[in-house]
Amino acid sequence: MSKPKVAIIGVGITPFKARYLDKTYFELAYDATKLAIEDTNKNGANITHKDLESTVYGIYNELFERQFMPDIFINSYIGMNNKPGTRIAAGGATGGYTVRMAYSEVASGLSDLCLCLGVEKCNDCYDEQTGVTTPEVLNAIAYSADMTYEYPMGMMAASSYVSMVNAHYEEFGNPTEEQMAHVSVKNHGNAMLNPKAQSPMEVTVEDVMNSRIICYPFKLLDCCLYSEASAALILASEEKVKELKIEKPIWITGVGAANTDCFIGNREDMGRLYSNIYAAKAAYKMAELDYNKIKNQIDLAELHDAFSGQEVISYEELGFVPFGEGGSWIERTFEKSGEGPWLDGELPCCPSGGLIGCGHAVGATGIMSTGEAVLQLREEAGKHQVPIEKGRAISHSIGGPGAAYAAVIVMANKEGLK
Amino acid sequence: MTEKFQDHQIRDILKINYKYTMGGQSKFFIEVMKNKKLFGTKCTKCGKTWMPPRINCSDCYEPADWVELNQAGTINVSTIVWYTTSAFIKAVPYGIGFIKLDGAETSLLQGIFSENLVPSKIKKGKRVKAVFNKEREGKMTDFFFVPEDEYENWISKPEYEGGV
Ligand SMILES: [Zn+2]
Repeated sequence: MSKPKVAIIGVGITPFKARYLDKTYFELAYDATKLAIEDTNKNGANITHKDLESTVYGIYNELFERQFMPDIFINSYIGMNNKPGTRIAAGGATGGYTVRMAYSEVASGLSDLCLCLGVEKCNDCYDEQTGVTTPEVLNAIAYSADMTYEYPMGMMAASSYVSMVNAHYEEFGNPTEEQMAHVSVKNHGNAMLNPKAQSPMEVTVEDVMNSRIICYPFKLLDCCLYSEASAALILASEEKVKELKIEKPIWITGVGAANTDCFIGNREDMGRLYSNIYAAKAAYKMAELDYNKIKNQIDLAELHDAFSGQEVISYEELGFVPFGEGGSWIERTFEKSGEGPWLDGELPCCPSGGLIGCGHAVGATGIMSTGEAVLQLREEAGKHQVPIEKGRAISHSIGGPGAAYAAVIVMANKEGLK
Repeated sequence: MTEKFQDHQIRDILKINYKYTMGGQSKFFIEVMKNKKLFGTKCTKCGKTWMPPRINCSDCYEPADWVELNQAGTINVSTIVWYTTSAFIKAVPYGIGFIKLDGAETSLLQGIFSENLVPSKIKKGKRVKAVFNKEREGKMTDFFFVPEDEYENWISKPEYEGGV
């Protein structure tokens, strides 16, 4: 393998919560940054924020933050004035894309020490007619649909993703509603071991099946909840890793991203998230891993399970199982791990609880899942630690209209580089 | 810090008014509004028919010509929405789906109305036809689709009419 150029040397993740009344988005971003610096120093370094050379910000939605260009206000609050800062916005895939750009920042030589910082605070949106936040949060998101042809039809995140899941079901006869429900049981259950998760819950397949219908056939427990949180990573060049005497650098060995057609109706097969396939293949190729054997080459996958059915399709598109076999694979996971937690088996997916278990703080989510994979590879994930044998993991982000954006990051510890 | 935290929230709203130009797509909306016709575009090089229309072919980088499409089509995929955004929550449940109009190669997202809105009624393969509002503004909400066997009922309602 060609020598990796960039390592993740520090991780900071705030708790994912329904609502922080005591923090603004820039205060949350500050907390995650401080945690990431502390973690870097625990990992052998001795740095302060003054040593960080640049920032790449992952923030999806200006309407959540009630602020256009929110990155520049964070830049001021975290003490990064007079250094470069770039904002990335790519829907639900914002986090993964932000990691990709932070990687580029360091791999290009522009920075030796770069802060990769995601934040989102959605539940300041408020719907006066129902007296709750969610419908207004969903409306702020729905403006990401094509405003001329799709928003006026009542298109929103769930109806967009469900279209692809329904088309996949028409083609392959899966995922069934029961198979989707298994993902919800697994991810809510795994979250019970993650103290930072918003939705830890012991639920049964029946509970999921009986929860209220959102968008046929997605039910409430098939859907992630929108969350407020921030997550930060500190990325370093190879020279910087040596200079700072980092004990457990986790190397980024593969980065892949792709944007497929945002108009689902333009796609050849509607039951595919093509962005997943292209992003995964690119990331694995860079990491010199094999799309058809990837399940046996990595220890875990932190997936973007915005909706249970979409995690099932992702198993196929990320190369874990052949097309049409995602549904039976989640059943096999249950045969092996029984009542959970689902931290072993052929390939543990979302040991953190994923989005369904942790919540979805959009810009922070993919950075959280990448950070979770880093902690797993350092064998410091805590109660939801999975067995690390190969020393490799992936994180996956997807989002946007029709899940048009996707990013996949491959990481390795010292063993995984071999 | 020892002082007990007390939160403070303010009401606020972001609002912008538009007079938005449809640009090269304008003809589509004018034909819907004035003539109850559905126009797509056809690439002058590869012959691909685009719906929603685009006046340039994104595959060939060549111009695409306007072509009138049939008002009947087939549902490719659909769903029924029971919980949604603040802008649509009063409308639930509503059906939406991707409809491939006869003669088009891509599918158009549209509302699917039915007197019996159940998944089986609007599933993949079902035939649908366009129904137009009598009062039209040149927007996507000027028309919707209904199952073929409900078409006569829908166009007999005072607020709707059939295409031409
Ligand atoms: Zn063409």
